[in-house]
Amino acid sequence: MKLTPDVLELNWSEVEEKIKLFIIDYVKKSGARGIVLGLSGGIDSCTVAALSALAIGGKNVLGLILPEKETYNVKDIKHAEATAKKFGLKTEKIDITPVLKAFYKSIPSFDSKDNLCKGNIKARARMIYIYYYANKFNMIVCGSSDKSETMIGYFTKWGDAAADITPIMDLYKTQVRKLASHIGVPEEIVKKPSSPGLWPRQFAEEELGIKYETLDLILYGLEHFMETKDIASQLGLREDLVEKIKRRWLAAEHKRRLPLTTKIEYRTIGADFRLPRDVC
Amino acid sequence: MKENFKVALAQMNCHRADKKRNIEKMGKIITEATKEKADLVIFPELSLTGYVIRDEIYNLAETIPGPSTEAMEKIAKKTGAYIVFGMPELSEKTKATIYNSAVLVGPEGIVGKYRKMHLPTHSVFEEKRYFRQGYEAVALTTKLGKIGLIICYDIFFPELSRLTRLKGAQLIVCISASPAVRKAFFETLTVARAIENAAFLAYVNLVGIENGLQFWGGSRLVGPNGKVLTQAKYDEEDLVMCDVSYSDIKPVEAFVPTLKDLRPELFDELKESAKRL
Repeated sequence: MKLTPDVLELNWSEVEEKIKLFIIDYVKKSGARGIVLGLSGGIDSCTVAALSALAIGGKNVLGLILPEKETYNVKDIKHAEATAKKFGLKTEKIDITPVLKAFYKSIPSFDSKDNLCKGNIKARARMIYIYYYANKFNMIVCGSSDKSETMIGYFTKWGDAAADITPIMDLYKTQVRKLASHIGVPEEIVKKPSSPGLWPRQFAEEELGIKYETLDLILYGLEHFMETKDIASQLGLREDLVEKIKRRWLAAEHKRRLPLTTKIEYRTIGADFRLPRDVC
Repeated sequence: MKENFKVALAQMNCHRADKKRNIEKMGKIITEATKEKADLVIFPELSLTGYVIRDEIYNLAETIPGPSTEAMEKIAKKTGAYIVFGMPELSEKTKATIYNSAVLVGPEGIVGKYRKMHLPTHSVFEEKRYFRQGYEAVALTTKLGKIGLIICYDIFFPELSRLTRLKGAQLIVCISASPAVRKAFFETLTVARAIENAAFLAYVNLVGIENGLQFWGGSRLVGPNGKVLTQAKYDEEDLVMCDVSYSDIKPVEAFVPTLKDLRPELFDELKESAKRL
């Protein structure tokens, strides 16, 4: 297999249709009144918000803009609002800073310098807000996780990845950008550097130490059972870098699954039970 | 035997795990099709229950004959149509083993059944977890001639379609539950199986979304020369009808005589080689 950017090309009209059908079908079968999602102003959430609105109508989609003081970014909020305006979805903006402060204060061992643990609180706090709305107004939560981040575990367990459906999880980040352009997400959003927004000046590609264009091709190769040596040679990379990505992918499986238990009884949750996930 | 008849391809979105509603739905479609003079109405794989039923299958599988085939027989008698549909079949003998079966019923009752021989258990498919594989290629005798039955992934194995043809089937029916990523394969293979066997091939696929799998529809009747005679819509329910004339087969076989030129000795070699993969 030749690992060139072409392998990530898809028929974007078909992809758009498939995702819209998936959203329409799930919302209908679940009996929900609509969709609620966290709208950060980043490429993933703007794309999912747009697809949701295109699928079930903007009036049935609520985007929650949940900024906090430390990472407050006027541009991101403008992007979230611009997407909402363009695709006709409703928004609510809630400053979650007081809640976060209360959290920090109540944890005896809280370490304000530990960006990761602190950042995960932010992602999980946002999840609580989103699920409150889902619960209260009978809506399903639409997640924004993409395939690149989900494969390497670049997300908060039970935080930003917590959702009922994740319509773009089978698309790599570079593919999400193309789909976003195709459906008309403003180019400024499509082109800006991706950030999880868990601490100030956190940019995904800087933190990961690799461009998404390269990461996606590595992951695509791994997805297709290619050897790390072959991937590295084709992409002109050191093999240890590709190995590192592979280890990261495999080590993150615990973040993508239900918690593991030990088998004791006849049919075990997560191991034996195989039930259809969607409702009739 | 009728040499000319009308086939209806009933591309259906099933109610998952709801046999009663699916039988009602199939009944309505058959009534509609027979009003248009259809002689044979074909439904997708596991159309009685839906495809992604997973562990619910143990409560849904039924023997043949059983309550569901009896209900379908009644519809066949009332409408005068032959019907092919799919269901999880509980073995009459063991009362524990389940097959992925295609059933052919007609005005005369149950004509026969075919138990799927190739069970996909890769990618998103987990059929071997639930089903025992069948052991017999089937060409069933009806007033519409001999009808060969295969199911979905079987179409990737040309020897099975060939065998139904050699048993006398002039029409091969393939019922299917194929998700969208496999569309290109099926669109190629349906044409190939028809050409190489100089036979009509009716392909009927599921539509709708089950557990995130999007079934693409695109049901079609392919003529013995590989021409797509009719095709249903993609991704939505549809009912399309088309005439079959067995007299179309002879000129095709004269033009590309794939049956005349068959080499039986290759099948012996194939058998021996397949054992040593």
